[in-house]
Amino acid sequence: MIELLEKLGDYPPFSLLDNVAFSKIDASSVVAYYTGETVLVDIGQSFDKIFVIIKGSVASYNSNDEMIDIYHEHDTFGGIAYLKSLPVESKFIVHEELICYEIPTSTFAELCNDYHSFRDYFFHSLAQKVDNIKTKQEFSSMGDLMIARVERTLLHSVCIVPAKTLVTVALKQSIEYSSSVILVDNSNGYGIVTDTNLRKYILLEDNSSTAIGDVQTTPIVSIKEDELLFNVLMLMTQQSIKHLPVVNDSNEILGILELIDVVSFFSSQTHLITAQIENSTSLESLILVSKKVIIIIDALHSKGVKTRYIAKLISGINKKIYAKLFGFIAPAEWHNKSALILLGSEGREEQILRTDQDNAIIFEDSFNPLDINEVTNSFIKALDEIGYPRCKGEVMMINPKWHQNLSKYKEMIDDWIENQSSDSMMDMAIFFDSLCVAGNAKLYIRLRDSLISGVKSHPIILKHFAKSIESFDEALGIFSTFSTKKGHKNEIDIKKTALFPLIHGVRSLSLEFGIVHTNTFERIKELNNIGFLSREDALEMIESLEVINTIRLHSALKQQQLGDEITNFVSLSNMGKMQRDVLKDALKTISHFKKLLKYHFQLSMVS
Amino acid sequence: MFKKLQASWNKKGLKDRKYEFLFEPYDGDEIVVFDTETTGLNPKIDNIVSIGAIKIKGNKILTNDSFHILVIQDRAISSESIKIHQIRNCDITEGMPIKEAIDNFLDFIGNRKLAGYYLEFDIAMINRYLKPMYGIKLPNQQEEVSAIYYDKKIARIPQGNIDLRFDTIMNELSIPKLQGHDALNDATMTAMMYLKLKYSKQKLN
Repeated sequence: MIELLEKLGDYPPFSLLDNVAFSKIDASSVVAYYTGETVLVDIGQSFDKIFVIIKGSVASYNSNDEMIDIYHEHDTFGGIAYLKSLPVESKFIVHEELICYEIPTSTFAELCNDYHSFRDYFFHSLAQKVDNIKTKQEFSSMGDLMIARVERTLLHSVCIVPAKTLVTVALKQSIEYSSSVILVDNSNGYGIVTDTNLRKYILLEDNSSTAIGDVQTTPIVSIKEDELLFNVLMLMTQQSIKHLPVVNDSNEILGILELIDVVSFFSSQTHLITAQIENSTSLESLILVSKKVIIIIDALHSKGVKTRYIAKLISGINKKIYAKLFGFIAPAEWHNKSALILLGSEGREEQILRTDQDNAIIFEDSFNPLDINEVTNSFIKALDEIGYPRCKGEVMMINPKWHQNLSKYKEMIDDWIENQSSDSMMDMAIFFDSLCVAGNAKLYIRLRDSLISGVKSHPIILKHFAKSIESFDEALGIFSTFSTKKGHKNEIDIKKTALFPLIHGVRSLSLEFGIVHTNTFERIKELNNIGFLSREDALEMIESLEVINTIRLHSALKQQQLGDEITNFVSLSNMGKMQRDVLKDALKTISHFKKLLKYHFQLSMVS
Repeated sequence: MFKKLQASWNKKGLKDRKYEFLFEPYDGDEIVVFDTETTGLNPKIDNIVSIGAIKIKGNKILTNDSFHILVIQDRAISSESIKIHQIRNCDITEGMPIKEAIDNFLDFIGNRKLAGYYLEFDIAMINRYLKPMYGIKLPNQQEEVSAIYYDKKIARIPQGNIDLRFDTIMNELSIPKLQGHDALNDATMTAMMYLKLKYSKQKLN
């Protein structure tokens, strides 16, 4: 078989095939060369072969001659159209000189028939593709996260017996100690007896006089106290050790570490931190615990946990931190007469890394504390110390604009609605995403409701509010040329081109329909509940948001690991083929959603 | 005229009428690109280790109709040449004797035009066996890929020194790289070069 073909197997869906399948492809496929602009398949025709790109690219255009997709190296096209036996709805034209495989449809059909996972690949929904990526990421680097060390509290008591002890005697002793393994004290070191050894013992023909030393495994693998738990996990899984003796510096046995405990330790980290935050009794201890949050994000992500759940967990923890801080720092008289709110992405509970401090305080009208500056300053300082970067837009409670009483805030909202400037719209967006985390929540609810009713009575404001979804280039347009911005070759700004239009579009609709959820996922679900979005559209949007957040987090973590500045630029060339595919699908969904918004808010009529 | 004379002279030497078809004029649209791996660079004394060949029809490389044969050696391959093509002595226990390989090769190419990179060498290698076996040299039409490249290139830089190394041409034409020094891979890469040089409307730099 020629090597060109072997390489095909490195990429999905062909990686799902075996050698039998490859010899079928080998016996029927050809490599073809086409010059630029060649029309491979035209609208209304059908695919008589499946194309796999070796080099070059192919673009597809709809009947209005708009480019709808572009295919690159390792991409396959024609598969779905053939399987669904649909006439082609778009025109496939060579974009950049093309060398490709042509697999006859008869061979392709045979492969689909024989290899269901191969066939299913073409029908995979976005969600399934994402799950595929997730499984892959589980094996990717764990980062610098697993810094926990072996602690004595994790150890089980140990039963140590001399080598000459009868097995039956040793077993009785181990039951007394309630230890799951027996350590054997030989003159020259330790041995271990586990269930595996005992199984062999049971099968011995005459075992009544067998000594424990005769069935032991020796020497033993042990680790020092204070070893990194992560290394321990690696050691145990690699050598399939379930019980690991732990020794101190003078090689005395301290106890046994069990695999099950190590594993559950990693999964319960988040609960641990939440509990530690709850139980912290001083500002110092709270700050100390809070610093661990970033480590958790890393850990969860590398385990393949969906970003939606990571965000939920993290924001749950953040809310607790804020509430606790408020309790420590704000004087007692504040507690009922003010409300602490988080705004922007923190308010939406969508921060997946440490995000900026976006917070504000609302006071009761009659409450004008004299220690405002002092209190807000120490609050912000505590957040600094935990490691939350300050908000560049100054949306923080130390800013007089963001610590006012209720009536002043209401005036500000009226002003936003009246003057419709882009700054006002931005403030309105930030505020509409807010969430009350401590103090008197009623103050916040009154304010939020006055914004919603204000917008209801001036619906025209919505057009101005929604308009900014058009401020950035169409994501797919950028995709087709792969690089537009100078200095960002093969990168896209995922926040501007994808995340922002989706979040802001959903936000605009929520403001219109008075949806009080702040989380974008919840808002989408609510838009489906009230019948504005179809179930399919809602699902697709949720999946797209998940994809984009995952890719964004992944990229941010990578930048963090490399010590680079965290930006919203995501490199397309570092992306696997599957990730690129999934991103493409997500961008298509968003582009579709933008069109819907344009029509709904009649954006073309707003200047 | 001279060529015709040479051809008929060549044909006269043919010892086996079985291969008369090599001398028929070709009226199909296929070309064969081929490459040999050898024990050295001297066609007079070195041997063929493997032959790879692939057909081109129009704009398509018929990878489903390719030819790859390893040749059993009567003497051990020198360690120098093993370093180049990485075919070890133990790798060609499954090959075939050179005579059989040549017969198979002639059947595969028929009277099609031959193309290759530094084709002269590969032709000379084949002829080294063909002459004693059947009394002829390969009569097929020949096209040198590096020469097509040269012609395209010289049009752009008339006084230029043109780098005709295989890898240079590969890069310039941005052909996907395969593991080199495998006769079939080399033939496949050369075939891609050929198609791109023949059909591309793009100008070379």
